[in-house]
Amino acid sequence: MPDAHADQDWRAWFAENGARLRLIARQWTRCEADADDVLQEAFVRFWKHQRHLPGNPNALVVTSLRRSALDLLRRGDRRAAREKVVGDDMESVTWFEPEADPRLAALADSLKLLPAEQREVVVLKVWGDLTFDEIGEQLSISPNTAASRWRYAMEALRKHITARTHD
Amino acid sequence: MTDPDHDIAEALASLRPRAPGPAVTARLARELDVPASRRGVILAWSSGFAAIAAALVAAFVFLGGVSEPEAPQYQLVHVEQSRPDVQFFRPVQMDDGSFARPVRVRWQDTTRWEDAHSNTRLINYRPNDQLTLLPLETN
Repeated sequence: MPDAHADQDWRAWFAENGARLRLIARQWTRCEADADDVLQEAFVRFWKHQRHLPGNPNALVVTSLRRSALDLLRRGDRRAAREKVVGDDMESVTWFEPEADPRLAALADSLKLLPAEQREVVVLKVWGDLTFDEIGEQLSISPNTAASRWRYAMEALRKHITARTHD
Repeated sequence: MTDPDHDIAEALASLRPRAPGPAVTARLARELDVPASRRGVILAWSSGFAAIAAALVAAFVFLGGVSEPEAPQYQLVHVEQSRPDVQFFRPVQMDDGSFARPVRVRWQDTTRWEDAHSNTRLINYRPNDQLTLLPLETN
């Protein structure tokens, strides 16, 4: 991730990091629209108030995303129409760009099937670029628990894609 | 020792997450690009509750006195108190000979008000910084 501490244009920074930040937001939300809302709120807060803070900007922006996602889940005034599309959303909208390689396509589909607690560790490690220590801090779990969830997730993904590619 | 999960991790890293749509970038531009005088977001910094209360009362009185339908009507949508940062200092001796430990507590209160009609927000940040003395008993 480029240095967000410098006085750079938010568009350049967002163009480089927006996709992975949106994936992080997406796996904590129930639909695409919620992911966009969370991404917007978290990024604005990060860019205006947090990017100059000391520390890993990755961890700061992930903290901001998690906070916005939790706020959204707690809010009870979500529009009914938005709630209605959640089921369809999970099925029809992919989280990744289409892949020609069937193994990668199977992997992209399989990620959504992981238990949420394993999936968030995978997403934070691969696309959040966080260490197990940092993931532990984000999720209020020990680094060992984070590493354990990662191992279970890798095992599950391996089984999923092996089964899919042999079908 | 080799990492048995390396191939899966590597394959995951090669997946390309879908980029946010142009609507998201447009919404960000509205919040991050617009000049301060027109951005629709008013950042109010104050160091005491009295100042916040005075500003809100003034706004309320002002808005209440104007009959324009476009006047913003802010609704409280979010209240947050940050985790306090506590610092303990070395004990000090008081004038009466007793000892006390200075403790500094810092936190931030944030309230967010929104007017859906005009799509404007009022965000109020209130940094708090308190220094107190905890009496120490000596035997």
